[in-house]
Amino acid sequence: MSIFKKIVTYRPSFTVRILTGLISMLIMLSVCTFIGLADRTRLNVRAAEFDARAVEAGAKVYFDQCARCHGVKGEGIEGQGPALASEQFVGRIELVRDDMQLQSIKVVVPSERLNQIGWTGSLRDYIIAVTESGIPIKTSNAWDVNHPTFGERFGGPLRGDQIRDVASFIVNYGLDPLPNDQAILPPAPGEGQAARPTPVPLTPAQEAGKALYEAKGCTACHAIRGVGAQGALGPNLTRIGAVAEERIASDHYKANLQGQPPATTAAEYIRQSIIHPNAYIVPECPQGACLANLMPQNYEQQMTPEELNNLVDYLSSLK
Amino acid sequence: MAFVGQKLVKQIQTTGLKATVAQRLDDAFTRFTAGLSWNDVRGVLRGDPPAKPNPRVKPHTEGFWFHIRPTFYHEAVTTLYPTFRLGLLSAVFFTFEIITGIFLMIFYTPSPTYAYGNMLDILTNVPFGKFMRDLHRLGAEGMVIIVTLHMARTFITGSYKKPRQFTWFTGVVLLVVTLFLSFSGYLLPWDQLAFWAVTIGTSMADAVPLVGPEINLLLRGAPDIGAGGLLRFYLFHVVLFPLIGVIFVAVHYYKVVRFGISLPPEMEAIGEDTARKVPPEKRVNFMPDIITNELMYAGVAFAILAISCATWYSAPLEHHADPLVTPNHTVAPWYFYWLQGLLKIPHMIPLLPGGIAGEVDRFFANVFGLTPKVFWGVIVGPLLFLLLFVVPYIDPNPSRRYGDRKVMLSFGAIFAAAIIYLSLAGIPTGVPITGFGYVGGDPASEVGQAFIPDEGVGPVRRLPYSQYVVGNFPINAQPNTGSAGLDRLIREIHDDMEARKARPDPLGKTLSADATGSLEVKQIQSNLRQVIITVNYTDVDGKASQFKKYTFLHADSGYVAE
Repeated sequence: MSIFKKIVTYRPSFTVRILTGLISMLIMLSVCTFIGLADRTRLNVRAAEFDARAVEAGAKVYFDQCARCHGVKGEGIEGQGPALASEQFVGRIELVRDDMQLQSIKVVVPSERLNQIGWTGSLRDYIIAVTESGIPIKTSNAWDVNHPTFGERFGGPLRGDQIRDVASFIVNYGLDPLPNDQAILPPAPGEGQAARPTPVPLTPAQEAGKALYEAKGCTACHAIRGVGAQGALGPNLTRIGAVAEERIASDHYKANLQGQPPATTAAEYIRQSIIHPNAYIVPECPQGACLANLMPQNYEQQMTPEELNNLVDYLSSLK
Repeated sequence: MAFVGQKLVKQIQTTGLKATVAQRLDDAFTRFTAGLSWNDVRGVLRGDPPAKPNPRVKPHTEGFWFHIRPTFYHEAVTTLYPTFRLGLLSAVFFTFEIITGIFLMIFYTPSPTYAYGNMLDILTNVPFGKFMRDLHRLGAEGMVIIVTLHMARTFITGSYKKPRQFTWFTGVVLLVVTLFLSFSGYLLPWDQLAFWAVTIGTSMADAVPLVGPEINLLLRGAPDIGAGGLLRFYLFHVVLFPLIGVIFVAVHYYKVVRFGISLPPEMEAIGEDTARKVPPEKRVNFMPDIITNELMYAGVAFAILAISCATWYSAPLEHHADPLVTPNHTVAPWYFYWLQGLLKIPHMIPLLPGGIAGEVDRFFANVFGLTPKVFWGVIVGPLLFLLLFVVPYIDPNPSRRYGDRKVMLSFGAIFAAAIIYLSLAGIPTGVPITGFGYVGGDPASEVGQAFIPDEGVGPVRRLPYSQYVVGNFPINAQPNTGSAGLDRLIREIHDDMEARKARPDPLGKTLSADATGSLEVKQIQSNLRQVIITVNYTDVDGKASQFKKYTFLHADSGYVAE
């Protein structure tokens, strides 16, 4: 009899049936006992893992939606949005685990900001509330616009789970907050009407450049405080005149410039960035790392030399 | 003077308390088993021969649960061949799914707002929750395999032939119910995997001529899958399909008992059916032999499931469903890969010799006005199933002998081979060697997808957080980052890029030879890093291009174990 035939005609004896059945039942019972014994600890470990993944998912949401006003490091942007990573806002926290591996957040230094505005709930709840429903009334002229409503049910782009994730991300800054002196802090309640510098009047050429900035579609990707639409794909140009000066002095610029002579003045740098956008890619954009090829490379053909001069003149004046 | 319990008192007085209690308990036990005393059941479990008259037929004649089970089987069908117990196992898995399903139902709300959070709760806050979910999921996939094998066995032994045509028909209904049960359960976790698999699945319905959009609207409850669709799929999953399943299992099994389990083909004369004419010496009693056999099979199946879920198996849960973000390489559940393969045929014409499928498409487009999607997905796909339904009615051959059925068995083999081939074509990597069914974007983006997949873990997330070093590292063969794990990862990326440079993918695209890459690790928060893969390459137009993909990695996210 071939082995094949032996297998297909196999009929387990009575003893084999009873024994196999019993052993299977014992195996099932031991597996259940094994799982049951350490289940609480395993559940807690897994809960901490999912908390960690919520921070990861929240980081993605933060860089897509929040960084354009609150800064890529949560440091805040003048006139756009206050710091979220500052010790004043997030305080200082520690992650602690008990014997059963249950993780919880221990508040070492509570948020000064919540105390200031009189919010009685948790920081996490405050972040969720503000992100979801925005801030309905203007209490300060420190920011150009009120916090928008990001929650889906208030017409915003984010679902509830994304808002909870981004709150996890921001609370997580509390493990190592930015010192307050490196952050843009919001004014205390009642002190919001700070004097704002009178804008320097623009020359006619600069006015023409400003009009070009809005007409040529720059606002689709870039933002200048108080001018036209506020794009969020490319770098913010509110202080580009000052930034350009810092850039040309930086080592990163000198080391990473490709195919173009290094600019020596802010105006040259700006002109170079418009005509040859790929010559130098800055490391940080509102949505994380900046990409090459995002900016069209044909602006030299789209504008007359005079128009280009006006635009560069205008942008250089922004400091 | 008579009073309630007088008889009891009398019995205690005559036989003593202990004997009375024992006798009364045995009475209750006998009523419960519909005719078997405690000693009879012990006899069954010890394999004792039955007493005369045989008390073990009583549960069959008087009880509900055994009334449909035969009192004996033919000896020839109690060996592994010809049934392999696949029908029994299908029923066992169905029951198992109902039990684990009810457990999961307790912790689940069919609403997009809560469903995903419920899944996280089941995994992190419900004792045995993950175990039950894994069991339910693995059981469902096992059930699809077992039901399919059961059908294949029935086909191979020719058991669908007269008088069992209708049994086969109900069996195919049950196969469809199994597939739909599995598929409708797919959406419930409300993660990306679920959302997009079901979006693909229901968009097939959209292609049905004339009534397609209406069917789609009925399934989804809205033009797109949302709260309405989730509730509908939930109701399909827990009410409609189980109900159809229970009804058809009853009909199917009634037919099996009515005609008996077909004997091995070589044991009968051609055209004869002797399954119900069992000579007394060939009878194997249901009790104790068949019932212990079935309990053993059920026990082993449960034990295998339990061990699998405690060790290697973990049901996937991806990110929260996002209608705005389609992950790369979205696929249907594996048991519908063949359908996805069918749908790819029109896109794969250049790879076929002579463009056969293209000619077919053109013919149907010109003559009937059908688009390729309608033709392959809505006409050919269901036609294959229709073929299964009518097999017993179109097969004119009365013989069940293997030697007499060369045509039908070859046809079955070709059918199976075609399904396997199409299934391979259904996955994004396509069929090995021929590359049929390959879908891939730009080679540079495929590098990103290979190491940081949109969904699932992938090598970058699997490398522990502690193995990353902050900095920007070029991708080369001799990385020196100071971390063995990161060096290994960079080498892997390097090898992958070199492979894509050297070998064109099935669509003929290669990564440009001058392509370079870098891996950057940034510290975002004290326990959160960002890993960015950059590939600089020359695209097909000869322009310098750059591809970037990143992910965030938290120190405690625990992908390593997955």
